[in-house]
Amino acid sequence: MNDVYSRHRPLALLACVILAQVLLLAFQIKREHDVRLIRYWAVTLLTPAERMGTWAFSSVGGVWSGYVGLRHTHADNERLHSDLDQLRLRNRELEAKASEAQRLAVLLNFKESHGEAPMLAAQVIGASADPSSHTLFINRGERDHLRRNLPVITPDGVVGKIVEVYPSTSQVLLINDKDSGVGALFSDTRTHGVVKGSGEPEPRMDYVVNDEKVSPGEYILTSGDDRIFPKGLLIGIVADASSGMPFQAIRVKPATRLDRLEDVIVLLTQQELTPKKSDEVSDVAIEPPPAPAPSSNAAANAPRRAAGVPKSTAASNPAGNTPQPKSDDPQPDSAAPQE
Amino acid sequence: MASMLSPTAQSGSNIEVHKYYGGTVIITAFLALVLQAFLHKYGHWAELIDLPLLVTIYFGVSRRNPVSGMFLGAAIGILQDALGHDNPIGIFGISKTLVGYVASSVGARIDTEHPVSRFGLVFLLFHFHQAVRAFMERVLLNQLEPFFTWQLTLDSLVTAAFGVALFALLDRLRRTQ
Repeated sequence: MNDVYSRHRPLALLACVILAQVLLLAFQIKREHDVRLIRYWAVTLLTPAERMGTWAFSSVGGVWSGYVGLRHTHADNERLHSDLDQLRLRNRELEAKASEAQRLAVLLNFKESHGEAPMLAAQVIGASADPSSHTLFINRGERDHLRRNLPVITPDGVVGKIVEVYPSTSQVLLINDKDSGVGALFSDTRTHGVVKGSGEPEPRMDYVVNDEKVSPGEYILTSGDDRIFPKGLLIGIVADASSGMPFQAIRVKPATRLDRLEDVIVLLTQQELTPKKSDEVSDVAIEPPPAPAPSSNAAANAPRRAAGVPKSTAASNPAGNTPQPKSDDPQPDSAAPQE
Repeated sequence: MASMLSPTAQSGSNIEVHKYYGGTVIITAFLALVLQAFLHKYGHWAELIDLPLLVTIYFGVSRRNPVSGMFLGAAIGILQDALGHDNPIGIFGISKTLVGYVASSVGARIDTEHPVSRFGLVFLLFHFHQAVRAFMERVLLNQLEPFFTWQLTLDSLVTAAFGVALFALLDRLRRTQ
């Protein structure tokens, strides 16, 4: 009996284990009961190890992606740097073009606002090699019917006059050159004088007697006496004035940044410029307001409007030397020519 | 059949019974279950290999004790069932109980150290395991689990090939006498 038992003991055990599991299955199926306790133990037993495995796996993955996977990063970095350099170059080109378009828009606006007056836009292509000579070269010449002594301006103010004309270029004498002289007058007192270059960046206004009251910030306009510049164009503002012998020493701050000129307008007439009466340019004035505020802010605000630039373009001044007008400035409509 | 599977038949055999260091079987079975569950989330390729089945077969044929092989298979199978979501506990348990018992009985009669015999043994036991499982599911759960598909054949081949390498690795855990 014992021999039979020992011989069949494994089979009997197998049958018992199988039967027990079948009963367990039957219990689950019949009662629709889940043996949650076994699952709970199994999950409790195995999930910490799985969590550890996941952590180890992600750590190895992190090491891989952080170090080993970086072997192409240097090449990528080089390529991206190259791309960045090209994009920067392209960006500079576009910025330059945008800036040029902005300047040309200002010129076009000015030209449209003075449609009656013949004028020609020109580009500054060079300057004098002599440091003591304040001259420029523009890309217009005899072929464009230019001639000597034509006035050159920007929407901000007077630049100078043409002194030499070549087939395709012209030389412009700036108002701060020591050989330059422009008939001028004060916008407030209408006192006449001559704005002369001194070789310095800022010209002087001569022939104003000491008795004349001159305030810093006062507008200086062309008088038309020189028969070159039309009357009423803004030259600049008084920077400072002091008594001298025999005339006052008046330093003039040019309305135009003469050291940053890129595009200019050559006036083909010496007649006074009159803005159009259309709505768009109704707030354009050739002359500054008649009674400028003595403060330096007001003085600094004045040149753009005085030079006939519409308000809409005031913010896009390429020279960047004309702040926005203050609210207490006189309106352009009231700044009609006084003559 | 009974006499073929009877452990007493091994008394006359001169096939070596291998011993392992304490905890080796439990730790290996535990790792097999963890890896099977862990690798499954990194892709379906992990489904090609049944690691718990391989561990059951390996320790069954190595220890050549049907009782211990049976209990090891039952424990691994029940834990595998428990880790599943909708499997009733017992399907893998019964399958692996039988696989453990048969592997131990076969290991007691033939030499299973050669890679080819290991490959064949794993291949056959894989399909035996699948047949038992399909039978249980059809009878007890009324589910049409297939006895044979080409996918199962591929799985069995991959598992067998992997098993040969794994068995060689696990051989290093044997206690030298």
